[in-house]
Amino acid sequence: MVIYKREIFRNRKSTMLWTSILLSYNVCMLLLYPSMVGPLKDSMNVMIQSFPKEMIAAFGLDKVSMTEMLGFYNTYCYLLVTILGGIFAVIQGSSILSKEEDEKTIEFLLSKPVSRNNIITSKIFAVLTNLVILNTIISVISFVTIELVNKESYNRRVLLLLFIAPIFMQITFAAIGLIISIFIVKARINFPTGVGIVLGCYFISIIATISSKADFLKYFTPFKYVDGADIITKQAIEPIYLIIMAIVTLTCVIATYIIYNKKDIVA
Amino acid sequence: MNAIEIKSLTKQYGTSRGIIDVDLQVQEGEVFGFIGPNGAGKSTTIRTVLNFIKPTKGEAQILGLDCFTQSEKIKRQIGYLPSEVHYYDDMKVKELLNYSASFYKKECSQKIAELCDALELSTDKKLEELSFGNKKKVGIVQALLHEPKLLILDEPTSGLDPLMQNKFFEILKEENKKGVTIFFSSHVLTEVQKMCHRVAIIKDGKILNIESIDNLRANTYKKIKIELKNPVDNVFENFPGVVNRSVHDNCVEFLFNGQVDKIIKKLYEYSIINIWIEEPQLEEIFMHYYE
Repeated sequence: MVIYKREIFRNRKSTMLWTSILLSYNVCMLLLYPSMVGPLKDSMNVMIQSFPKEMIAAFGLDKVSMTEMLGFYNTYCYLLVTILGGIFAVIQGSSILSKEEDEKTIEFLLSKPVSRNNIITSKIFAVLTNLVILNTIISVISFVTIELVNKESYNRRVLLLLFIAPIFMQITFAAIGLIISIFIVKARINFPTGVGIVLGCYFISIIATISSKADFLKYFTPFKYVDGADIITKQAIEPIYLIIMAIVTLTCVIATYIIYNKKDIVA
Repeated sequence: MNAIEIKSLTKQYGTSRGIIDVDLQVQEGEVFGFIGPNGAGKSTTIRTVLNFIKPTKGEAQILGLDCFTQSEKIKRQIGYLPSEVHYYDDMKVKELLNYSASFYKKECSQKIAELCDALELSTDKKLEELSFGNKKKVGIVQALLHEPKLLILDEPTSGLDPLMQNKFFEILKEENKKGVTIFFSSHVLTEVQKMCHRVAIIKDGKILNIESIDNLRANTYKKIKIELKNPVDNVFENFPGVVNRSVHDNCVEFLFNGQVDKIIKKLYEYSIINIWIEEPQLEEIFMHYYE
């Protein structure tokens, strides 16, 4: 509990910064929605049809319409919530444990009466808390904004899925970041590694979307697991993807406990 | 029960040497010095018994508890000061000390105030603004604030000015009077000489010798310097009990471990201008272990 409190306090500024950036972006975009569906609606649709079909597919516009509320949220807000949220998660995951070693404060912590398991558990819960804070604030305020700008009916249950799905993906990325940080302690190396993995996964998801030959790649990128256009058309997150995310997350976390307990920790 | 009990503890880093078959017993209430040059394995030994690093083989107990399976329990009763202190830069001194105290189910604020007062440490500064010496003071306070039964100090005085060192030793002496066992490593022998009851000497990862300070000094060695009338190169060369012999012009200087009587008899053979017989510094006694 002591370490958990400390981590929440220590990360408060970073969490608030990421939350406010994403939040202000989402709100600004959503405020543009009325002008998009007003007199411009038909010309927007015509313009989109003139895009290359790969680009339309990459943004999921072959499945959903940008001139409807959920489709608009998917294109303009959801994409950034998943990418930036994923980066935030991987940074949190990869720094939370390794920071102590990188800044050589781990000797202090280990000389106190706490087990290594306790340290890991407290820190994992701190990351989860930060992810929940980020997503809850963004979701609640985005929902209020959507209710204000949207005049037509839409499926609120699907919107809820679009709010929840990024959390699963972020937890997966955080767990991947955590296991990386066991092996790469230095922040100046594990930080770009984590960000690289998230962006790499995003590009894999684009390839998987636009090329039917590369369709199998969809199993290798969390971005496909929580693809917004798929969630809107199927009105669900596919169970197979939920299972994959659960397995990846658990594997990373369990491996972290095992390896961290055996590890020589030298500051 | 011994405060620290180490049996054939070995730690290898890959193929390189860490420590080899270290055996140590530190009795309760004792001030025990752990002496060796840099890289001899002092910190490795300490980090292994604190369960920061895992031993290749061997056993270790602290206060009757197993170092590798009961580490959490051990840490409730010990205070540790690392040789290099690193703390959270975003914290103020008092925040760090309170954070440290919050790990123990104890009220520590009075002890913190006492210690900060004695060490002239201001608690309102950010840790990143502190000099190395002041950080070390923070380290001392966090090691002592929960009134541990055993103190493990890794090169505790580095970075402290001589005045502070004296204050620090006074604090340690007072703690020791209350029954606190103190184990500290150092490569500065004079401070060990001042404080310790017994010392262990470590070199290249192996314990060379464990002796009481009194034994080491009183019974074993005399430092003898002789000025001769004529330069003689081989004076006392290969004489039994003579170590660290050196010759400068007409002077010969050595440590002698044996019956003084034999030296006196041998001295009749030379014409002598001057002679000094002194208690050696521990440094000098140890030099031949190091060589």
